[in-house]
Amino acid sequence: MFHAEPLPVFLVASPRPYDPAALTLRPTEALRIMPSAINRSAAFEQLALPLFASLYNHAHWLTRNPSEAEDLVQETFTRALRAFDSFKPETNFKAWIFRILRNSFLTTRSGIAASRTVFLEDQPDTLDTTASGPTPEDILLRLDNQAALQTALEQLQSPLREALLLCDVEEIKYKDIALILDVPIGTVMSRISRARRALRQLLQPHLGKSL
Amino acid sequence: MNQTPPTNPAIEHLDPNHLGPGQLNAFIDGELSSAEQHGIEQHLTICHACALRVLSATKLKAAIARAGQRFTPSPEALARLTAQLHAQSQSQQQPEPQKTARIYSIRPASTRPAAWAAIAAAILLAVSLLTWRQLHQTNTLATELLDQHLATLSTAATPQVISTDRHTVKPWFQGRLPFSFNLPDAAALPPDTTLKGADLTYLNGQPAALLLFTIHKHEVSVFLTQRSTSPTLTALPNTRAGFTLHTATTPDLRIIAVSDVNPSDLNNLVASLVQAQKPN
Repeated sequence: MFHAEPLPVFLVASPRPYDPAALTLRPTEALRIMPSAINRSAAFEQLALPLFASLYNHAHWLTRNPSEAEDLVQETFTRALRAFDSFKPETNFKAWIFRILRNSFLTTRSGIAASRTVFLEDQPDTLDTTASGPTPEDILLRLDNQAALQTALEQLQSPLREALLLCDVEEIKYKDIALILDVPIGTVMSRISRARRALRQLLQPHLGKSL
Repeated sequence: MNQTPPTNPAIEHLDPNHLGPGQLNAFIDGELSSAEQHGIEQHLTICHACALRVLSATKLKAAIARAGQRFTPSPEALARLTAQLHAQSQSQQQPEPQKTARIYSIRPASTRPAAWAAIAAAILLAVSLLTWRQLHQTNTLATELLDQHLATLSTAATPQVISTDRHTVKPWFQGRLPFSFNLPDAAALPPDTTLKGADLTYLNGQPAALLLFTIHKHEVSVFLTQRSTSPTLTALPNTRAGFTLHTATTPDLRIIAVSDVNPSDLNNLVASLVQAQKPN
């Protein structure tokens, strides 16, 4: 994959505090690509290859099956490469390709089945997570129990788990999660909040076992 | 003023300074402006209840990040995906003139051999993977290393960066790898040893630098990975199907060389790489 042209230059922005004015120009990976068709595929590979593991992990969480996850990542690459011209270099590539992953998933059999499940979005989020749940100290102790945490993650409703994984595992910003899931940013915040509250409640019965 | 216990559901209503659930989440997710962030930090220094909640929420977030990173692709899946991506991007780059099954074959055909070569490389990779996997079930990492080395031997496998100059090869990895390394200059390499180029690759799902050398016309693949992320190599054999595997570590890096050259020459090359990592 060697080309005589200059290699694309990638500018990796360091994390910085939220600035409303920079909302649309705060990519996690901003890049400048030489606007040449020959460099296009190379640029795509440079951006996509490092995301293999993340895309596969997320695909596995969505499909709950290793071979379906692999098919889904393959399909994502095919679609993303075809649509790479529509990718705006000043935006977040990771969010862009995760959105394609999710849209591809929605066209699969398990995706269609999942979309049939009705998810009640607007449950009031007024209760304090610590109000009726365990104290913070209890949570600290139980978090060492990896198996319990994974079981709890599996038990979460998929829309809650999806938002939480994008936030905590993939470290994607709320506004980009909103783009990926195609929901308003307020919905993202409420799903993340609900997911964390539900996880705390799910971890509660494991208290005795893990101590 | 902040003596309300954390278990009080009406905590926010008693003191407007206390963190609401939304604010708490935005704070630990780094979604607040620096002014808001600073305001909360100030509050946390005087409010034990909120500080405990932030601590608990941060721990939960970190634990979710660990538990959520659960599924890693198998080496075979990784190889299949990489090969597919290469093949697709090559055929999209400059595809064949006639209509094929691929819907994006619409551009001129100057690199038809390259496309075939990519397919051949993919087949070689797949066949070698299958063969080696059947013969040696025990050590997947050794298999992966050898497969990647065999793939570089294919005439179709052009390194992503071709250069004998360390000042070209090393900077090429900037922004591509989450770590850095030093390369010895040509004079510091053992006799008749030449740097050919380099590739970005993956070992066990971790990014790795693949350096390609020749020693007396024998091809050598040298893999550099980060020690903190790569798994421990407990039982990596010294030889595999006639190829020599040589491993060395520095405080930060794990270096694994694969070649059919004689073991002492391979050791010399690895030693020169280890030496290059030492601060002057």
